[in-house]
Amino acid sequence: MTKTSITSTERRPQGLLRLLRTATVVLVALASGFAAPGARAMTESEAGARAVISETVDEVLAVLRDKSVPTEERIRALEQIVYGRFDLYVMSRLVLARNWKRFSEEQKEEYVKEFKQYLTNSYGNRIERYDQQEVEIIGEREEPRGDVVIQTKILGGEFEGALVDYRLRKQDAGWRVIDVVIEGISMVSNYRDQFKSIVSTGGPELLLQKLKEKNAAGMVLDETSAKSQPGNSDL
Amino acid sequence: MRPRGRDPAPRPRLAALTVIAAAITAGISCAPITGPRDPSDPWERMNRGTFRFNEGLDRWVVAPVAKGMDFVLPDPVERSLAKFFENSKIPIHFGNALLQFKPVSAVEDLARFVVNTSIGLAGFFDPASHLGLEAHQEDFGQTLGVWGIPAGPYLVLPVFGPSNPRDSVGLAVDSFSTVYPWFIPLYASFSIGVGQRLNWRSLNLDGIAAEREAALDYYVAVRNAYLSYRENLVRDQKEDETDDEDLYYLD
Repeated sequence: MTKTSITSTERRPQGLLRLLRTATVVLVALASGFAAPGARAMTESEAGARAVISETVDEVLAVLRDKSVPTEERIRALEQIVYGRFDLYVMSRLVLARNWKRFSEEQKEEYVKEFKQYLTNSYGNRIERYDQQEVEIIGEREEPRGDVVIQTKILGGEFEGALVDYRLRKQDAGWRVIDVVIEGISMVSNYRDQFKSIVSTGGPELLLQKLKEKNAAGMVLDETSAKSQPGNSDL
Repeated sequence: MRPRGRDPAPRPRLAALTVIAAAITAGISCAPITGPRDPSDPWERMNRGTFRFNEGLDRWVVAPVAKGMDFVLPDPVERSLAKFFENSKIPIHFGNALLQFKPVSAVEDLARFVVNTSIGLAGFFDPASHLGLEAHQEDFGQTLGVWGIPAGPYLVLPVFGPSNPRDSVGLAVDSFSTVYPWFIPLYASFSIGVGQRLNWRSLNLDGIAAEREAALDYYVAVRNAYLSYRENLVRDQKEDETDDEDLYYLD
């Protein structure tokens, strides 16, 4: 929505370039005028969910920027921040979908625990790759049944321009993230497909076994990747 | 301005593709299947075989070369190269934006191309983005989607990777309409294709390693990502994305 903002550091565009820019600005303004008749005020839900994402982003970026703190400690800090704002129970259930009923009470508990560890291992290792990116909240949308989607965009670095949507649901404790959708790729949907194929082959037991194997291997990898150079861990 | 060599240029590539495809389908008839069939992937058995072949190709050929590239070229140079490749594809994006009745995107693409090719030194730099001109990566597969043609089942192409019948046609049409084969010899246009692929791979060494490492079933993870990503690109103009009831509500 901020296509018209030009920073002052830019040189004044000349001739054709200026014409092109004017033409584009006009066209874009016209197009967005057609697309969104009248600016819509943010609903209370949208504002609430947006505040949660905005806080979380600020806190996460603060941890990522402070490279003086050891990796292990930063991963713990991120866990605190992120899991505080994620509803892992809902996420875990949504990932299993219909298969949730096939799990006994103990298996459910075990699965939620292992899934959490699995997420930590999958994403924790990547914090070394942080390279001064910023996150901009570009929009919000209330879904028909009350969930709110907060749309964000990554600025800078290798993922410049990547769109990341957070889906939040109102819980007793406040707005909680239940899915992260990167360029249309939903985390819940992606894990659901993977886990579905495993559960239908070997039941809940096989899924739990695979998660445990991954988690055990992931923790070993944690130590080695912290020591080795970034980029050496490929293959 | 009649393009020279327009007809013969892309043909050997397609011929090679067919041969490779045939060789692989013959070689993988004993590929294992795990679990029941996913409705979006009736060809899972064949696809898993091709996927395994592609993974092998990546492991033994593509990734090692990309690693060498990563070692030699600093990341900013690689990102600049990626911009150059991206810029050279804008005419295709422009054409597809028009075919999808998106005049604003088309004009933005055209403006990007003019600005980046001139001031951006043949596209190695991207001043257009600083002018607020956004990139629109419309390809012919998306165009067909916008026209209402169904994607068809998931299909893993040898060498090219995840696709479906619609996007395969799109890929073929887009490569026919690339500017390179018209003006430069085939080996040069082939090298550009390979160069772009290697450069992309080199920029994504860590990311792909992490995905491979993290996935419980990498084949399914890639399939889901491809299908969601493409669907998202095709429906980008449509505001109401409320068809995820199944995903977020279990009742």
